[in-house]
Order: sequence, then structure tokens, then C-alpha cells
Amino acid sequence: MRFVFHLLLMVAVALAVGFGLSWYLLTDNRFFGVVQSGPWVAWSDAGSPSPNPYTRAHLARAGVLQLGQAEGLQFTATTDSEGRPLTRDCSYRIEGQTPVATFWTLAALDAAGRNIAAPGTDIALRSSTIVRTGEGAIVVHVGTTLAPGNWLELTGNGPFSLVLTLYDTVASSGFGSLDTMPAIVLEAC
Amino acid sequence: MVRTALWLLAGLLLGGLIHLVVVLTLPSLAEETVWDRIGTLEAENRIVVMPPVEAGGENPFGLDPLIIYGICQVDLSTGPAYMNGVLPDAFWSVAVYDRDGTVIYSTTNRDGIGTTLDLGIFNAAQTRLLAQQEIDINEGLLIVESPSDPLFITVRLAPPYTALRTRYAEEMANLTCGTRQ
Repeated sequence: MRFVFHLLLMVAVALAVGFGLSWYLLTDNRFFGVVQSGPWVAWSDAGSPSPNPYTRAHLARAGVLQLGQAEGLQFTATTDSEGRPLTRDCSYRIEGQTPVATFWTLAALDAAGRNIAAPGTDIALRSSTIVRTGEGAIVVHVGTTLAPGNWLELTGNGPFSLVLTLYDTVASSGFGSLDTMPAIVLEAC
Repeated sequence: MVRTALWLLAGLLLGGLIHLVVVLTLPSLAEETVWDRIGTLEAENRIVVMPPVEAGGENPFGLDPLIIYGICQVDLSTGPAYMNGVLPDAFWSVAVYDRDGTVIYSTTNRDGIGTTLDLGIFNAAQTRLLAQQEIDINEGLLIVESPSDPLFITVRLAPPYTALRTRYAEEMANLTCGTRQ
């Protein structure tokens, strides 16, 4: 009886570790194949001719068209800079500098990957069409409640993610410039 | 107690093994790959401009809503592939993917290409033949050597303003793409 208990325990642990670890590392991987700057995470070698096995498995699972290394790099944030999950019950401010790039776009997605911009508003923001501070920094408000200046207006409720895509960027070539990724600041809930 | 800990340790080791098998086999076991999705576009030997992403709509390819995408699927076993044409004076890039969705080549028009896209894709045997015959290559032709035959090519074009999107999409649709016998 004790042998059967131990066997079941071992199988349960093996399945939980094996599949749980795989799911975590291929979904929200913070260990292998990604670069992270604050809340922003990118699969840095997704666009390389020989991605590592974790990136390759992630790409197979996602089934999306990733950018080539020369084209740019896409960052995703699911939390603010304090680590709190992004939710449409709150409004946020994205502020700071961005890595050198020809241009970038910013979009908000729900858990299914659908764009959640409010109807009749900009579906995403582009770097060339936003107002900047005197120092060249960006301040972008994100949320469902009215905000001044640059505003990515969202609709609906529930969790969301922000996708910042840098085109023709130096961020693809190394970690150093990632220090300039903007912060995501919670404003109000 | 010690025996239970040993069983737990065995479970952890077996879990690690399962994890490695999952990571290494997932690319070949995935049910709906990007190649499968591309196959539904009927883009063999022609450029297909993707419909724009709409708020609230499905976006299985994970497209950027501010970018115009053109896709062409080719098979080098029928001959070397090409993509030619002139694109508007805005940022554009081109990427060549293999069947697994891995990017084997990418570039942007910021690399001194300008507005003319002239791309030739060859497999190893065709590249060897090209070198042996010492064929003159047109200036500006981008030559890509591919390790595999089934491929798809993606062109990304970024209109600076939304109002230009329709005209830019029409210009992208004029690109020619296919294989030469």
C-alpha cells in the first residue's frame, strides 16, 4: 500500500513539474531565451535563424509571425513597474525614454490577443504621432478613463497586456540600450 | 521519511525529463503552426496583402495593426524564388521564413535599399549553380541562400499616417513573387 502511495506521489510530482514548468517557461519565461527590462519582456532570439529550443517551442506554440532580427524587437508587459497585473479597472502612465529605433508602435491586447482599443479611437499609437516632453521623453496614458495628452483609450474590463514593438532598433543587438525602456506607472483605480 | 524524500526526488527528476521532452518535441507536435495558417491564405507564388487588424477582432498571426503585411509562399524545389517591385518611400522590411516559422533572412530598406525590392532566394544546389555559371547579378539584388525548399516571404510596410494605408496596400499588391522554372 505504501509502495502504491509513493508511486502515485512520484507520478503526480513528475507530471506537475514536467508540464507545469513547460507551460510556465513557454508562456511567461523569465529564465531562458528572454530579455527583461522592468515589466517589459521580449524573446530576443525569436527572429534569429537559430533560436534556442525554448524560443523555438514558444514560437511553435504561439504560431505568430515574429519579427526578423534585422526588422525589430517586440516587448510585452503584463504588469506595471511595481509588478501588479495590468487591469482595465485602473489607468496607467507609460513614461520615460525608449531604445533607439526608426519608430515604435504601442498596442493593448486582451488575454486572447485581441486589440482592445476603444471603438473610433486609434487602434495603436505610433512614435511619430505622439507629443513628447522637452527632453524627448514619452508620456502615454493608457486606460478606459479620460486622460490628457497622449491617450491609448481602452474598452471593456479585465486584464490586458501592452505590446511595444521597436522597428529597426539597436535593442536587437544587445542588452545595454534596454536600460532606456519606459516605466509603467499606476495612476488610479 | 527518507524513503518518501527519495520518491519525491525521483518525481522531480522524472519531471525534468518530461519538461525536456516537451520543449524539444513541441515544434513538431504543434497542431496549428504558422505554416498551417499561411497555407489558408492561398499565397502560393503571389503576394497576398493581409486584411487590417480590427479592434476586438481575432489576430491569429499577432500582426501589428499599424503595419501592412504582404505574404508570398514559394517552394524552391520548382526553381529559385523571386520577389520584385517598388514600394512607397516609407519604412518597409522583408523577412524569409522556413516551414517552422524560423526567420532565415531579414532586412529593412534602411540598409540602403531605397524603394526597390529585388530579392532572389536559392537553395544550396541553385546557389552552387549560380556561382559555377558566373551569371551577372543585377546591382541591388538581395541574394538569400535557403537551407530548405518550402518558404514564405513577408513584407512589412509602415505607412506614416493611417490615411495612406489604402494607397500603400494597393502599391504592395503590385509586388510580383514566385519561382522561376
